[in-house]
Formats: sequence, C-alpha cells, structure tokens
Amino acid sequence: MFPLSSQKKFWTFANEQQLSELRLQQNVNYINSHGAEMNQEQREAFFLLLAEERVLIKQYELYLNDFCRRFEPPMPKCVVGTAFHYFKRFFLNNTPMDYHPKEILATCVYLACKVEEFNVSIGQFVGNIKGDRNKAMDIILSNELLMMQQLNYYLTVHNPYRPVEGFLIDIKTRSNMSNPERLRPHIDEFIEKTFFTDACLLYAPSQIALAAVLHAASKEQENLDSYVTENLFVAARDKLPALIEAVRKIRFMVKAYELPSKEKVRLIEKKLEKCRNQENNPDSQIYKERMRKMLCDDDLELPLDSSYHVADSSADMSMLNMSQESV
Amino acid sequence: MEDQACPRCKTTKYRNPSLKLMVNVCGHTLCESCVDLLFLKGSGSCPECMVPLRRNNFRVQLFEDPMVEKEVDIRKRVLRDYNKKEDDFATLQEYNDYLEEIETIIYNLCNNIDIIGTNKRIEAYRRENREVIQRNKTRMGREEYELEEMLELERAQEEARKQELAELETEQKKKKAREKEALIDELMCSGKDAAEIVNEFAEKVEKLREEEKKLPPPKPATQFSTGIKFGRTADQMFLPLPKAEEGPLYVHKVPTLYTEGPAAPATAEIESKGFIAHIRPENSAERAGGYKANLACQRALQEALMGLYFGAPTVN
Repeated sequence: MFPLSSQKKFWTFANEQQLSELRLQQNVNYINSHGAEMNQEQREAFFLLLAEERVLIKQYELYLNDFCRRFEPPMPKCVVGTAFHYFKRFFLNNTPMDYHPKEILATCVYLACKVEEFNVSIGQFVGNIKGDRNKAMDIILSNELLMMQQLNYYLTVHNPYRPVEGFLIDIKTRSNMSNPERLRPHIDEFIEKTFFTDACLLYAPSQIALAAVLHAASKEQENLDSYVTENLFVAARDKLPALIEAVRKIRFMVKAYELPSKEKVRLIEKKLEKCRNQENNPDSQIYKERMRKMLCDDDLELPLDSSYHVADSSADMSMLNMSQESV
Repeated sequence: MEDQACPRCKTTKYRNPSLKLMVNVCGHTLCESCVDLLFLKGSGSCPECMVPLRRNNFRVQLFEDPMVEKEVDIRKRVLRDYNKKEDDFATLQEYNDYLEEIETIIYNLCNNIDIIGTNKRIEAYRRENREVIQRNKTRMGREEYELEEMLELERAQEEARKQELAELETEQKKKKAREKEALIDELMCSGKDAAEIVNEFAEKVEKLREEEKKLPPPKPATQFSTGIKFGRTADQMFLPLPKAEEGPLYVHKVPTLYTEGPAAPATAEIESKGFIAHIRPENSAERAGGYKANLACQRALQEALMGLYFGAPTVN
C-alpha cells in the first residue's frame, strides 16, 4: 500500500533540489566539525566536495549491484531494490566521509535480506565477501543497528517489481499487444538502471514500473499510449499530465546517467582515506580504542590485549575487495 | 535489611543472624551485646552523640530507619503533655494551629533544631496548662474505663443468653418426660381404647410443636460491643462498582481503500475478465495455505495502479 506507506510519507521527496540540499548539508556539517581550523582552500583540498561524494556513491552503487548479482545463493530482485533504497536513504542523512560506503553497502544488503525474508545467515552472507570475513562480519553486525536507526526504523520498501508484474498482466488482459513478454528484458534493464538514479527517492514505484514498461514498449516499436489513456486514466484525465511528466523525468534520469570515471574514483578514494572520520574506521587506533572501551564496559574482566576481531589489524583494507573487480 | 549493622562493633545481620539492634531516645542504634557491654551499670552515654542514656530506655528497633524510632519516641513524650482534644478549642482554625505547633516541636526535637528553646516551650506550656493536661489525662482514663465497662456488659449478656438457652432445653426435656408419663398413666388407668389414647396424645404433641414454632426465634446480636453494626451493613461498606460508561455501539465500517491511482479490478473481475489467465496457477502447497492465484493477481494489479496519481495536484 504505497499511498499510506512510510516510504511515501518520509522517504519520497518532492524534487532533486531537496535531495541535493540534504546531501550538501551533511557535507558542510562534516567539514565544519572536522576542519574547524582550516581555511577554505585547505578544506577543499582535504575534504571531499559534494560532487566528489556523488561520484563515489555512484561507484559504490555499481559495486552494490554487482555484489547482489554475484550473491550466492542468488537473491530475489526485491532484496536488491530494498538494499538500494537503504543505501540511498542512508547517504541522504550521512556523508560518505563519516561512514565509508563499502561498509554501509554490505550492511544495507544484509538488512535488506532480512527485511525481504531472504534467509541467509551472517556466516553465509560473509561467505560472499572476499577478504577478512571475521572483520566483515563485525563491521556488518556493528553497523546494522546504526543502519536501522538512520532509516528511522522505516524498513518496509515498496519496489517496482510487483507493479511491473501487474502491468504485464493488465496489458495481456486489456490491450491487444502481441506477446507482451518480449518487453521483459527491456523492463528489467530499465529498472536496474533506475536504481542508479535518484528516481526511487522521487517517484512512486508504480510510476517507475510504468516508465519501464513504456520505455520497453518504445524499444520494441510498440505504442502503449492508448493503453495508458484508454484503460488507466480514462476516469481521471486531469491526473495524466503529472504522470506523463513523471515518466518523462524518470526516462530522462536513466538516460542522463553516466558511469563514474575510474581514474576519478581512484583519486577520490585516496582522498577519502585521509579525510574520513577515523572514529568510524575499523582500522584506526581511535576505533580500536573505542571498541575496546565498549567491550570493557560490558565485561570488566577483559584483558587489555584480548584479540577482538575488529582490533585484528593483520588484515589489509580490502574488506570487500570490490574496487579491484571490474564492473 | 542486608546492610543492618551495629555502628559500634560492625557486626552485620549477615554475620550474626540473631543480631538485635536497639535504639534509645537519641535515635542512635547499638546491637544488643554492645548495650550489655556499655550499660553494665544501668546508665552511660551514647557512643555517637554522648547523650547520657539509661539502659532500660533501650528498645528493639522496629523501623529500619533509626530516625523514625527517635521520632516515635519523641512524639510519645510530647503527646503526653499536648493532649488537648478538638472540643477544647473554640474554632477549627485554633485546633489546627495547635496541631501544627505539636508537629513543629516534634520536628525540632528530631532534627536537633533549637532543642533548649523547644524544651523551654514545652515546659512553659506544661506550666500554663497544667489543669487542662490533668483533666484530659483523667478523661482519657475515664474513656478507657467506659470501654472496659461496655465489654463487661457484653460478656454478661452473652452469658445470660447461654443460660436462657440451656434452661429452655431442660424445660423441654422435662415436658417430654411428663407427657410420656401421662400417656402411660392414661393407658394404665382409663378404660378407653388404647389406640384411641395414643392418637389423642400424638395430636396433642403435634399441636404443641406447632405452637413452639410460632414463638419467635431469639433475636440475633446485631452489633459489636463497640456499637458498630455487623451483618448486612458491612456489605454496604464496599464502594459500588463503577458503572462502565456505555458509548455508542460498535458499527463496522468498510475501510476505504486509499489508492491514489485508478481503481483495480475487483476480486470477482479477476476471473471473469480473464486477468487470472496471465499468472502462474498456484501449486497444491500454496492452495493448502490459502494462497490462490487470484490473490497474487489482484495484489500485483493493485500495486501497479496504486500511486500512479502520485505527484498530481489533488482537486478537492
């Protein structure tokens, strides 16, 4: 029930302007609190700019998609969609400098598996991750609650996959198009692409689904305009312009999407290593210290040099080892 | 309770389960053995506040907080002098002021505020009101005496009632024996038919019994000695059950489906209009669980159509 959902109420925004304002705010807040004694030039050189953040997030969205596609056992599409939602929502209210996107990525997918009832244990889950699995497990589990908190515990996500099925059933039943099944590959491709854009933060899932269907139809040299006007909007012609605008926008967003350049991403990642919040970096001394303190609070008997997983510094930084993979 | 300990010898309830804490007028505690030790001669001073104490003023501590003990002690002492009743005052205001004063004195004594001044105040009060205090003391004695008398009376009544019952019983027994004798005499002496005589006597006995029944049973006691009625009246002591407020009756309203999009086909139409043909039929396990293909079909259609008007200006 999207119209009454928390997704519509709290996580669907009016326009792209709002989204970039939120993101800019996070960026500015971080820089102000961590770079108080720097001047403007130093800040620009040291911290990520909003544009750089966006490139980085785009790259990690690609990783996220890739990670889900390769996931073993294969996961249903709705898990991927939900994970994308979580990822985007998280970085609306946080900056990647505060929380490294690769850690958030894994946490998003793990939480999405749970919410979408795709049952994998944490052991099975980290089996899909290259590198130090114990460390990854600790990162995911310690970030899970933070994740839910940042999502404000609105975990239900309405994905465009079921609406697509609905439209296909409806088209098969009510329009005279021949073999609508041939639209399916185009639809799937389109929906996958919408998740690399902000469309799911701006439009209803059924609108995205309809955009995908219409896009697929045009690819197949079919015209479903009459289906939309005669069957769907026959009783509410006044609502039609808004839908047309939404579909146009979604298709435009997908078309305007461009892959982040690898060279740029490499430089940004380098920059991020320096300017990220060391308190949230599992390899930093500050983080280890904090973790040990937290652990000691729980259990005062713990010796100082106990081998806590996260504090295990022998592993290299390639927690998810994804930056080496081709996309 | 677990940290009850004697402040002098540091024995705790845990180490010595038979530990008995005693308290004196100063409000400081000591355990029984310390009291025995320190007050061997019958008097001594409190080890904490050096106030001279007497041994026979030690009592077992009833309250966990020794301050409460001290207050109880002080209150008892003060109220011995401040024993006026409400009807000793002309107005309620005066009585309340008087009570307030008592509390102030007790508070001061408990918290060691201006002890000398307060004691002087008590002394002055005692001197001024010597007569009233004395009178109230005797009055209190009289009231107690009256209560005692009432109880005595009650006991006497009870006794009398018992005796009455016993007499009645013996009387009846005697009567029965007499009747029996009369019957035998009659049978022996008169020349009438024996069966007739027996019948006659039986009728007489019957009549007597009926008469007895007509006598009212002894009145049951209706009140305690204190004058409080018991029985039915006690039931009415309970507050009546609050009557639940009856709101309007529940009326079922069909929830409105807020779709924000074109209406989806109704359940009946899923099959009649052929939507069902384009979805995988349910397998037997799904059917057993109650999930039929038309549900899935309807849900997909609903979700497809829901929210299509999103972003469109609403016309009210």
